[in-house]
Parts: sequence; C-alpha cells; structure tokens
Amino acid sequence: MTTTLATLLIIHVIGGVIAIGMHNVILMHLLKKAPNYVFVSRLAWSSAGLFFLSWVTSAYYYVTYYGSAVKPRILAGAMPAAHTFFMETKEHIFLVLPFLAISIALCTMYLRSNPDDDLRKSTAFLTFVALVIGVATAASGVLVSGSI
Amino acid sequence: MTFYELLVIMHVIGTVLGVGAATFAEIHYTRFNIDDIITDDERKTLTTTYTVMRAGLFLLVISGFAFLLYFRLTENVAALTSPSFWAKMTIVAVIVGNALLLQARMVPFAIGAAVSITSWYAALVLGVIGKTNATYVEILMYYVVAIVLVGLSLRWIRAWLHAPKKL
Repeated sequence: MTTTLATLLIIHVIGGVIAIGMHNVILMHLLKKAPNYVFVSRLAWSSAGLFFLSWVTSAYYYVTYYGSAVKPRILAGAMPAAHTFFMETKEHIFLVLPFLAISIALCTMYLRSNPDDDLRKSTAFLTFVALVIGVATAASGVLVSGSI
Repeated sequence: MTFYELLVIMHVIGTVLGVGAATFAEIHYTRFNIDDIITDDERKTLTTTYTVMRAGLFLLVISGFAFLLYFRLTENVAALTSPSFWAKMTIVAVIVGNALLLQARMVPFAIGAAVSITSWYAALVLGVIGKTNATYVEILMYYVVAIVLVGLSLRWIRAWLHAPKKL
C-alpha cells in the first residue's frame, strides 16, 4: 500500500469515528429539554463535513486499491462473508450516512431560530438512527480489516 | 518513542480517566445523595466528573481505532478477530448506549450506574488480560454476572448509608 492510500485509509477511519462520536454528543444534547442549539448545529455541520471527507477518501481507496488487492485476499481467506455480506452491506448503507448527517444539520440549524419540541424529538430520533448505522458501519469495517 | 507507544499511552490515559471518573461519579453520587438532595455545587461536581469520563471515552475510542489502523497497516490483523477484542468493543458500545439511556431517563439510575462502573472496569480488565481462552459469549456472561453483583453491592451500600444511625 502506498503512503497516499494509507493516509486516505487513516482519514477515512478517524474522520468517520469522530463524526459518529459527534452524532453521539448531538443526541445527548437533543435529549435535553433546552439544548444549546448553536453548539449542536455547529457540531452537526462538522459531523456532516467529516462524513463526506470519510466518504470521499474511502471511495478512492475502494476503487483504486481494495477491489484489486484486498477483496481477493478476503474471498480466499477463512471468512469470505466479511466481503460478500459485511463490505457489500457497509458500502451501500454508508451511502445514506452523509445525507442523514446533512438532514440532522439542517434540522438543528432550523431549531436555532425556531425552537420546537416536536422537531427536537424527531431530530433526536434521526440522530439515533444515524448513530446506529454509524456504529454498525464501523463494526463492519473492523470485521473486514480483520479478515485479510 | 514509537507511534505504537504513543497510542498505548493515549489508550491508557483514556482508560484511567474513564475508570477513575466512573468510580468517583459513583462515590460522589452516593455521598451527595445521603440526604436525598443534590445541591447546585454537588451537581457541578458531578457534571465535571461526567465530562472527565466522556473525555476518557473519547481518548479510548480514538486510540482504539488508531490501534486498528496500526494493525491493519502492519498486516497484523489477528487481534481484530479475537473474542476479547470484540467483547471490549461491545462493552464500549454498552458504555455509550447506557449514557444515552441515562440522559433520556429511560433506565433507572441505580441500574445505569451499575452498568457504567462495571463496564469501565470490564474494559480495563479485558485490556490488561489481552488474549484469553474464553469465548465471546463466556466473556459477556461474566460481564452480565459482574453487573448484577455490582448492582446489588451498590444497592446494599446505599441502603446502609440511608439507614437510621444508632446512637
């Protein structure tokens, strides 16, 4: 693996993990009755940015390296399901995450000027869904890395 | 100092902060709640303790994934499929989920506190033990038993502290 690809993989993993952690913090704040929406909104936009960064870097890594150098080793190894199920699921479900993150960011931006309890609860639920998908995606990534 | 040693230090600091804060959160809460009243000062102390705990969790998770990358880039991936590694991942997920449930008041505080402190110590123990012959399910069974025992112990300590003192 070249240094560039290793750097992209590092950005993909650390960026994604920090973005998932930010969704966790956002959810903790949205569960309060009167959250600090300015803080939550900034965090939500940062999280969306990091998800896109993680998405772009992983896409480049996947297209130029994973398919030719990693996938054949996983398929020939002891756990081919790491690719055929977990990676296939991960790469499709992960497509949803950046757009979920943008939806959360837009909702929190709206809540800054128009606090609304029903929207707060709905945004909290959406953030919970994004958090679950994020954690499942990260766990799948670990499994794929461990199956080489 | 190598990059790996830096990661170990970061991981240990995260664990120390998390385990220490979880311990003191329990001690402070039990002590402050003897009179069934949490004053503003006591609430601030608890908030600071929880902030330290979250900082520990952040360091633990980031260094944990940095370890993952290190093992992946050095082609030393056997650790990523070990039962103790996945048990530790599960326990860290429980710490996060438990904090969310406590924040949403969807779990009684007594249960949440027992889960939190046991999970932090379980993560510490698994980190120290490293490789083990126990399966993933066995580790989680020990973990559940530990939660029950810690929960009962905390319940007994709180009841003892609340009991009328003999003169």
